[in-house]
This record gives sequence, structure tokens and C-alpha cells, in this order.
Amino acid sequence: MRALAIETATTACAIGLVDGARYEARLLAADRRHVEVLAPGIAALLADCSLRASDLERVVVDRGPGLFTGLRVGLATALALADATGAGLVGVTSLELLAAGAHGAGVRGRFVGVVDGRRGEVFTQSFELAEAVTALTEPAVEHPRDVVIAWATNGAPVTFAGDGVTRYARDFAAVPNGRVHDLDVPPVLAALAFATREPGPVTPLYLREADAVANFVTRDGA
Amino acid sequence: MSVVLGIETSCDETAAAVVDDTWRVRGSIVESSIDQHHHYGGVVPELAGRAHVTTIVPVVRAALAGAGLDLHRPAIDAVAVTAGPGLIGSLLVGLAAAKAYALAWDVPLLSVNHLEGHLFAPLLETPDLAWPVLTLLVSGGHTMLVYQRGPGEHEVIGETIDDAAGEAYDKVARWLGLGYPGGPPIDRLAGEGDAASLALPVSMTGEDLDFSFSGLKSAVVRAGEKRPDLARADIAAAFQRAAVEQLTRKLRRALERYEVAGVAIAGGVAANSALRASVAAIAAQYGIAAHVPSLAMCTDNAAMIAAAGISHLARGQRSDLAVSADPNWSLADVS
Ligand SMILES: [Zn+2]
Repeated sequence: MRALAIETATTACAIGLVDGARYEARLLAADRRHVEVLAPGIAALLADCSLRASDLERVVVDRGPGLFTGLRVGLATALALADATGAGLVGVTSLELLAAGAHGAGVRGRFVGVVDGRRGEVFTQSFELAEAVTALTEPAVEHPRDVVIAWATNGAPVTFAGDGVTRYARDFAAVPNGRVHDLDVPPVLAALAFATREPGPVTPLYLREADAVANFVTRDGA
Repeated sequence: MSVVLGIETSCDETAAAVVDDTWRVRGSIVESSIDQHHHYGGVVPELAGRAHVTTIVPVVRAALAGAGLDLHRPAIDAVAVTAGPGLIGSLLVGLAAAKAYALAWDVPLLSVNHLEGHLFAPLLETPDLAWPVLTLLVSGGHTMLVYQRGPGEHEVIGETIDDAAGEAYDKVARWLGLGYPGGPPIDRLAGEGDAASLALPVSMTGEDLDFSFSGLKSAVVRAGEKRPDLARADIAAAFQRAAVEQLTRKLRRALERYEVAGVAIAGGVAANSALRASVAAIAAQYGIAAHVPSLAMCTDNAAMIAAAGISHLARGQRSDLAVSADPNWSLADVS
């Protein structure tokens, strides 16, 4: 299988490539320059592996939740690349990538992926990491403090990971039964493992309505 | 023969088109998310960005199919894409997709200024047009006079110092309760009204070639509040007359200074019936060609971007895959 993975859901931009037994992951930028670094990064990675874009059989893309603009750069790139080359397109969520990454690093038990959603909110999802990764909840938007309170009250041992944990480090450190797994960027090597999934249509997972829509609904909702 | 795929996503239109170096449009598709923005009184950037990402690939597919090209190995020489000016979130979707296509098909990328694209629209309808041409480029975001020596050789000779003409239309339309966008309903209403019923000042009567529209909107509101008896149609007619008068006055002034073979109008406001009639009349009076575009060529489209791309390609210009979008890219900075 020859597959490319594209990660743009956070401030970072990363790509990964698998070609048979060869796996390669590259962090292209950490500072939101997705549109500048993504295409040149893919071109360089393909060239270094002596591949052409048309050799790709799968494109795996993180479809969110995350930063809207970055997500769309990754999505538009993946959609166009897959359509033009005929490669199958596979969408995975940022939260399942965090879970898969933690699982691969040996984390077991309750796990919560926490992606920074800005505006004082985080995108979260809970998983059970055992032999396999099992989602326990659906992806949701929450206030970090509510996540912290819920797990502190619950008392069960839990591991958190994601750039939302880094941003609200002090809040998450206050969970007595919690520990933090150091993983900010949804890992592209984990994304490549999803390349064998059935390809199909991929849409962004925003989890939040567009601003003006939300405001408009609020104004007229009463 | 060179063939270029153009991609345009600077505002609410998601567009793709294939154009060749005889300026023939082989396929052109425009999808708009404007219906989603209607009740917000303007284009909502986040909504536009969301619409682009779901529409871009089907639109490119359809444009290629319309041109009879194979999606996986299209016989094109480059991908041209609007990189500014426009809404950053919208521009990024088209730019990211264009880069991916260029990469996938192993052809050069050409980043195009949206306003330069508008300047190529007349060529697509009159491929053998005689140069030079004086173009009045008027839209919701821009109002300028451009002197064009030939394709890709342009000089901005006049520009609005505040609002764009289309912006004034939108603001007056909002005040009259006509919804967004404001151009078409005002144009329609103006046809039923009496422009003489309300005296409005024509701004910028000086010798320069610049425009100003912010005062006109305020004047309409002030005058309208003093005369509650006036029908909306009369207000629309008076406003339209003053707006078109300012545009054409500067166009005439430019024609006295520049020897040209034709005049053109471009941009969304070029769809305005009064402006179209006035510009055609001025051209007839000066004995030069009038390039009054079809309504489809007034709205944002990708054929004009592809055409600008053809010109870049012919001059050996190529863009790097690392090129970024510039929401404020000025036409004066395009060489
Ligand atoms: Zn335009």
C-alpha cells in the first residue's frame, strides 16, 4: 500500500507516507502556515521516496475537529489530490488519531483526546484503550473546566492528550486521578494505519456552527 | 497551444474553467453560496469557506468534463488560481486545491490577482479586441479605472478613496430594506422611479480620476429622511443616477487623457443596466469599441482567472508551490 497522510487540524502541519515497509513522518510547520508548507512538503516527500503523486493508492486526512482554516487547507488538498490521482480518500478524526497515537505508545485504560477549540473551549472524546481502541463517547465541544471536574469527580484513572491539554495544562494537572500523555499533534503515523479503511466521501467535522449563524440563531431564536 | 485550468474562490463563488490561448472558454462552472448569506446582509466568511470546501472538487470535475478533459491526465499546461484579494478563508481553499492539482498532474502553478482576472474578461468575449482599452472595474469590493496597453499590461489610473461602488449599493439597499446583494434590486426599482424627485450631490467632481462613494450613501439617507413621502423607487433611481454619473464622469475625463481603442466595464456592478447603457453611449460618442460583458462575465468566474494564467504562462511566469494567499493583494503590485 502506498498512502499519504495529511494533518492540519491544529496549528501544526504534518504529513506521513507509507510505501510498502517504509514509513516516514514529517512535521512541516508548527505555526499555522499550512497553505505555504503543505504542497511543497508533499512534493519533497514524494520525490525523496522516488514516487509520483499518481503512485498514491490512498490519501488519509484528518477531518477534524480542530482549527477551521487549517482543516480546510488539509481537506481541500486531500480532496483534490485524491480526485486527480484516483487514490482512495480516507477521513479520520483528530480525536481518534490522538487515541491511536497514545495506544501505540503503550497508554492503556481510560483516555480522553482534547483538541484546542479556541474561545475557551476544547473538542473532546473518551476512549477505552485496551487491546483495541474503543470510543466511549461521541466527539463533543466542552469547557476544559467541565472536563476536569467530570473526571476528578469520577475518580477513575484517566490519561489526557492533545493540544487542548497543553493549553489548559494547569486545569488538567488538577485532576488527581489523571495523567497527561505528551502528544500535541494528531500523529500522522497513526493516520497511515487507517489507510486500509474503506475509502469514501470525506467531510470536515467542525462541531460548531459558523459564527454569524450562531449569532443569528441566538438573536432570532427567542 | 496552451490550455490552463483556472480556479476562483475569493468570495462566495466556487468556480473552475478551462481556457486556451485563443481565449476560447472550453468549460466553465460557477457555483455560488450567496443564498446562504442572504439574510446576514453580507457574505459570512466562515459560511463561504465551508461551502468552498464541499464544492471545489465537483466544480473542477465539471469544468474538466465540460472541456472534454480526462480528470486523471488532463491535457493542460498549468493551473491558475486566485491568490488575492478576497476573503482569506475562501482564498485558502482554492489555493490549496489548485496546488494539489498542479502537484498531481505535474504542471506549473500560476497565482493570479483576482482584479487582473477581471481585466481579461473582455478578451474572452472579443478575442480580437483592439488595444489599448480603458476599463472601469467596479464591484462590491473595488472601484478603479485601469489603462490596459495589452493583455497583462495595465496601469491603475484612478481608484476609490473610500467605499466601492457596489458597497454603496449594498448599504443603500440595506437602508431601503431590499436585502443583500443590493445591486440587482436597486437597479430593478430604479427603473420604476423618478431620479429627478431627489437631488443628490455628485461627489469627486475634481480633475483627478479617483472615486468616493461613502458620502453618497449618507446623502441618500439624509435626503430620504427629510422626504418621507418619497417612494423607494424614486430614492433608488436618484441614487443610481448619482452613482453612475460619478463613474461615467471619471471615465469621460480619462478618455480625454488617454488615447484608446475601446472602453470596458468589468466586475459585479458591470451588470448594472444604467451603467451599461451609459458606457455604451460614451463609447459611441467617442467612436470607440464598447466592451460591455455578458452578465455571466460580470460575476466572479474562473475563465477570467484561467485567461490571466494564459498570459502569465506566455510570459514565462511560474509560481512556487509555497505561494501564500494575500487577502489585500493590490492590482498596482501586479507586474
Ligand atoms: Zn470580482
